[in-house]
Amino acid sequence: MPSSMIDVFRAQLHSSIYWYKNNKWMFFSMFLWPYLLVGVMLGLGALIGNISLFSKRVGVVDPAFYLLSASAVATSSVGIVDAVAGFALYNRWLGTLNYIFLTPIREAKLMIAAGIPDSIITPLISVVAVAPAALYFEGLMGELKLTAILLIMYMSMIPLIGLSVLAATALLFVREESNIISSITPFILLLSGVFYPVSVLPKALQALSTYIPTRYVVDAAKLAAKYSSMPWGWIVIILGILAALGAVYNGVASYAVTKAEVAIRRKGVD
Amino acid sequence: MSLENAVIAEGLVKNYITYSRKGFFGKQKRVIHALRGVSFRVKWGEVFGLLGPNGAGKTTTVKIITTLLLPDFGKALVNGFDVVKNSIKVRESIGVVLNVERGFFWKLTGRENLKYFGMLRGLKGKDLEKAIDRVVKIVGLDELKSIDKLYEEYSLGMKARLALARALLHDPPILILDEPTLGLDPPAARGIRELLVRLARNEGKGVMITTHNMFEAEIICDYVAIISSGKISAQGTVHKLKRFIADKIPISIKFSGNVASGLETVNKLLFEATLSPHIRIKEVKDGFEARILVESGEEEKVISSSINALVSKGFSIRRAEVVEPTLEDVFIAVTKGDKENAVIND
Repeated sequence: MPSSMIDVFRAQLHSSIYWYKNNKWMFFSMFLWPYLLVGVMLGLGALIGNISLFSKRVGVVDPAFYLLSASAVATSSVGIVDAVAGFALYNRWLGTLNYIFLTPIREAKLMIAAGIPDSIITPLISVVAVAPAALYFEGLMGELKLTAILLIMYMSMIPLIGLSVLAATALLFVREESNIISSITPFILLLSGVFYPVSVLPKALQALSTYIPTRYVVDAAKLAAKYSSMPWGWIVIILGILAALGAVYNGVASYAVTKAEVAIRRKGVD
Repeated sequence: MSLENAVIAEGLVKNYITYSRKGFFGKQKRVIHALRGVSFRVKWGEVFGLLGPNGAGKTTTVKIITTLLLPDFGKALVNGFDVVKNSIKVRESIGVVLNVERGFFWKLTGRENLKYFGMLRGLKGKDLEKAIDRVVKIVGLDELKSIDKLYEEYSLGMKARLALARALLHDPPILILDEPTLGLDPPAARGIRELLVRLARNEGKGVMITTHNMFEAEIICDYVAIISSGKISAQGTVHKLKRFIADKIPISIKFSGNVASGLETVNKLLFEATLSPHIRIKEVKDGFEARILVESGEEEKVISSSINALVSKGFSIRRAEVVEPTLEDVFIAVTKGDKENAVIND
């Protein structure tokens, strides 16, 4: 029987869980990353700049909460891009790529489904990591905001997977051995306004940032940090934009991968 | 084309285009003719060996048969399905070992790795557990109690067994293995070979291996094809291929008795028995050895008539054997170009 996308999803989910189980220190360290990032940024900010000026320019009331949320968004975005676009490269290095591509399923479906589990796990870990801080700073409202940010992050995951599948296809096609994906993520983070407002970027980059899904998650994090309650109206608009981006990116990615399948197999997948 | 054959390859052609650097910016295009019309068949219940030196095209052929690479020209059917048009059906029909050294997740145990690859193929729950227990037992990893160890702790022999276990997990009718015993110690290699023969003979699976280990091919393959520079130079049963390179077969008969005084008499006696002009007798440690060159196919008849002649004259026979060329002799003759384009079908 041919395999389904659910089979691939289940297999990849299990392998991720096994991986975390067998790499406990790595797993625990993931909960520290947002705090380390925020610690470095606030520390450097206090030393060479002014935190209240930063709050004013970015437009947030609580810079610590905002930076924690933004860090969670950043680590999640990097994780998603890495999970999907880096999938081919990582498995090529391990020598598992050929065996995974021997799964009786279309390559396009395989690549999309294989990236989803880590795209769910990484944001979840990031948000769970900053949950104690959210409780400390804003009590139950902080947790509610965080849950809303997680949901938006999951919505942003959909177009991000489409973008990453395009990158993975390019990687397979050019048979690139170096991690070219790692050079994409800082660019995505810059255009998302994770650590610095998009408004201060050049106009061309500002325009480009409207096509970057994580930008809208950062906007949601900013809104959550700005208001004492959740601005649901804005959140719905953001969700709508992400749904549209998801439809476009995944449509383009599916088409591109289907077209590229023959070219990739002509060159060989490993 | 029928389902008499597990695998059919007809006229497979594959060219790779590579670029070599020329100066700082320039590059030069080069076409590598990896396969130049490769054809062969793998029958059900047989172990088929694709033999060839490094770079001959063995791995390219395997990749095409396993759907990982598209041919430029030619056709390949696996379990009756076209590797280009029906790749998903082909993948369902095959278990593959490409490189026994790698191909698993280092930070997962053997069992977790098998679960992952089993789940990819849609196995789940109790069926998956049963399938894992079954293949672990078949490849002997249960005896080594290593299935729950991390893969990074595996020896090469254990890795090879795990690779074979993965190939068998979904119980495919066809196994395709690229150098499955490469780098293994003799006991581990023997274990794998015995298993492959058992799977072909007892379960009727079509087994295709590539190797440049002539000893291995000679003992396990029912049918071999020798590939050289992207072309099949010779194919047939091991027995027929040996006959093909040797026009004359040497026979050795060791005997004892009083021959020294009448060497000519014995020579004449053997000539009459064999009618072969090429007879050489020399003294050996425990008597004498006669080496007789006979036409290929005549050896059995010549041995029995020679023995009868010698025994009738009071000599005692110590040993009689046909000194066959090895498959290595065939391989060297074919890949050197001494013998070409031999397709010996039984």
